[in-house]
Amino acid sequence: MRHRGAEEQRTDLTDRTDPTDRADLFDLSNIEAVLAGALDKARALGASGAKVAYRQSRRTGCRFENARLKSVASARGASYTVTVLADGRRGVAGGTSLADLDEIVARAAAMAKVGSASHFSAWPAPAATASVPRWSDRTAKLPRETLVDACRRIADALKAYRDDLYVEGGASRSEGEGLLLTTGGVRHMSRGTHWSISAEAQRTEGTDMLFAGFGRGWRDVNELFDPAAIAEHILADLRRGERTAPSPAGRTTAVLSPEMFGMLLHAVEMGVNGRNVAKGDSPLRGRIGQKVLDECLTLTDDPHVAMSPGAAEIDADGVPTRKMTIFDRGVLQGFLYDLDSAALAGAEPTGHDGCMTHNLQVLPGRRGSEEMLADVADGVYLKMLMGFGQGNLINGDFSCNVALGFRVRGGEIVGRVKNTMAAGNVYELLAGGVELSRDRDPALLLPHARVEGLSLAAEK
Amino acid sequence: MRDRLIEALKKARADYAEVRYAADDATSVTYRGREVENASTEKRTGGIARACVRGGWATATFDTLDALEAMLAEACASAAMVGRERTELAGEAAAAAGEYPAAMERDFRGVALDEKLKLIERYNGVILGHHESIETSVVAYFDRFRRQHFANTRGAYYMEDRPQAGVVMVAVARDGSLVQRAHDGWTSAAGYAVAEGREADAEALARRAVELLRAPQPEGGPRTVVLNQQLGGVFAHEAFGHLSEADFLYENPKMRELMRLGRPMGTGELNIIDDGSLGGLIGTHRYDDEGTPTRQTYLIRDGVLAGHLHSLETAGKMGAAATGNARAHGRTDVPIVRMTNTYIAPGAKGFAELIADVDDGLYACDAFGGETMMEMFTFSAAYAYRIRRGQIGELVRDVVLTGNVFETLGRMDGFGDDLVIREAAGGCGKGGQGPLPVSFGAPHLRIRDVIVGGR
Repeated sequence: MRHRGAEEQRTDLTDRTDPTDRADLFDLSNIEAVLAGALDKARALGASGAKVAYRQSRRTGCRFENARLKSVASARGASYTVTVLADGRRGVAGGTSLADLDEIVARAAAMAKVGSASHFSAWPAPAATASVPRWSDRTAKLPRETLVDACRRIADALKAYRDDLYVEGGASRSEGEGLLLTTGGVRHMSRGTHWSISAEAQRTEGTDMLFAGFGRGWRDVNELFDPAAIAEHILADLRRGERTAPSPAGRTTAVLSPEMFGMLLHAVEMGVNGRNVAKGDSPLRGRIGQKVLDECLTLTDDPHVAMSPGAAEIDADGVPTRKMTIFDRGVLQGFLYDLDSAALAGAEPTGHDGCMTHNLQVLPGRRGSEEMLADVADGVYLKMLMGFGQGNLINGDFSCNVALGFRVRGGEIVGRVKNTMAAGNVYELLAGGVELSRDRDPALLLPHARVEGLSLAAEK
Repeated sequence: MRDRLIEALKKARADYAEVRYAADDATSVTYRGREVENASTEKRTGGIARACVRGGWATATFDTLDALEAMLAEACASAAMVGRERTELAGEAAAAAGEYPAAMERDFRGVALDEKLKLIERYNGVILGHHESIETSVVAYFDRFRRQHFANTRGAYYMEDRPQAGVVMVAVARDGSLVQRAHDGWTSAAGYAVAEGREADAEALARRAVELLRAPQPEGGPRTVVLNQQLGGVFAHEAFGHLSEADFLYENPKMRELMRLGRPMGTGELNIIDDGSLGGLIGTHRYDDEGTPTRQTYLIRDGVLAGHLHSLETAGKMGAAATGNARAHGRTDVPIVRMTNTYIAPGAKGFAELIADVDDGLYACDAFGGETMMEMFTFSAAYAYRIRRGQIGELVRDVVLTGNVFETLGRMDGFGDDLVIREAAGGCGKGGQGPLPVSFGAPHLRIRDVIVGGR
């Protein structure tokens, strides 16, 4: 199929027909009164406590297939969830239409009769929250044409490198408002915007395929909204992958990209998940104050980074969020708790929905990532793993396929490795001999990480 | 409803337009360890208007039908701004028609919540009580009743009820720092019965988790592997089925060449079939989510690549007939090419005959999960046994299989006579849409030189 350049595809995709700018959709004051009525209804049905969370959102986006615009999408919707607490049990019911609200409250009360064991007996009173910017007018008004143009620029850059690449991509922006009301007295309105751009290139030679992809997302249209930079990430991998190289075998030095490092950290996030700890599943239970990871690793969760995707003022129960140090120089400082898990564990809630991080960050190291890579005598540079989450990840165990990785010899990337499996335990890999880069991904705020002793095996 | 949708579509200014609208009513209850972890229900609606003009597509999604005409108008106008080529959709199939209400043997909507909870409480008790090394468990019951309406500008209209119920169980055993899990799940469109009578399954899962604690890991490297029917089915679905989905092919000349019809894929005994019309299975519907009747499609016949799975557009652009594989997961999702019920057809060998030839290999069973990136696949077998000199030997754990699907299919040299199609409770994920209900199956299979991952 012939490649279409930007000049051939002038389109006028202004949002003349986009009905998402209707101001009445944004006014939540009517809805707040209706939702407060739901809390009253819950109490009338015998609940000792209740909460209702309402959310409405609009989204516009585009999709590119084979390096050209293929489709556009617009979405709008609203939904709500009611949680009822009665006799030490909680039940949840969700609905779309507010006309069903009474029925949904009744359903939540019915679920509470059989419901999940509640370890807390009341939703807490409102407490002071940080004000964290999550809404950007620039994002809310971002024209669809700009999203299309961003994808087009990336597609053109990738096809200019190699015309037989298969290129896909997409971009979107969304905005939404939410209301949380609890019988503890919380009345919290939140609103937020978000944009995302991503693309993927596939190079096929016979039955050999190379996939390279990258994306970005943020709440404000800032310097991260940079199609050229996104294209360059993908092009860098395509260039690195022009040749193949044999895999090392056995225990290997690996440099992990920030995304890869983040993937490994999922296991640690499961370990500090307070519910997993309270339920006995986590290998980190009972280890607060112990040195678990390499001393170069200081991990924090920061929900207050303005405009970050994880930015949040309160959690789903109205508990204010906070910046929290999870590991300080490798020493475990604490666990993440939502309201129920905290009560189960006899701890204080930390403002974490589902006991999961909002915005995990790792403090940087001393040397630049290029310098670190130049110091690898023989190893691999890993960009993507396939099948990582299968198996006992909560224990840190993984055994998976290297989807995109490169051989490093004498500090140089010498080619792409294929048909290679990687295995190991995340806690063992991060326990010692780790180095972090000074530079961090500007959105993820994660550095590159060098680890020792990753087990690799390749098909002969 | 039919008239409402058809009337709205009459005003649609597009080469093709459709509306899909669904109402869901769902319940789930979950035990984790000794406590109920979750008890939730939902009643939600939503839909999507979709239009194609000059080969460009647009969608507009909504919660209720109140603004249907406006949503359709928006989709048509947006598609007109996108489209720069030609609309090429497969020719007119018999237009979908009819209303198909659910016919469950035991309608789960009539089963009291209390009964559902007691059921999983019983299974949970079996797991937790099995052995002192059982550390924890997860047992979940879920059901969802979806009533879906669809109409398009070709005059198609249907209403179809799509009920689904199921149970998932996980047993976790610990010995010091070693943890092993066993899990399984069952789902069905036929009603509540799929959840009942699973005490023996719960017991078997707990026993397996405990036994895996003592099982060694295999050495890594190439081995001859016999797959059980569930793992063979996962292989058919993950490793090969996704490559057959024509939306990965139709705009990609190199992929089309790689997956050209007539290409030899394996021995003459190899047949892989997708069938969305297969009697009442969880992946079965009368029509797909573009109104195309479902049917049986041979993907590989007698060892040769014989067909692809299509939507209206992939079929139109590839000069094929639509196969009824355009499916959407969520109420407001765009339909994309998906599998339905996918299986490897049986051969003639008994299990004993398949393993008789294996000097030092593995009998790998069930799957923790599978992932595929085009031609590369990776699966974790749930458990496995050594095969030594034609005999099943000791249990082994942490068996991960990987390879290139083209090479692996070519090395499939033994087909059992014992096809089993599993309606397992996990579903299929693609393009952010999942878990989509699918089933998959195979007989016992033997494959030479599969790469087994090891520490």
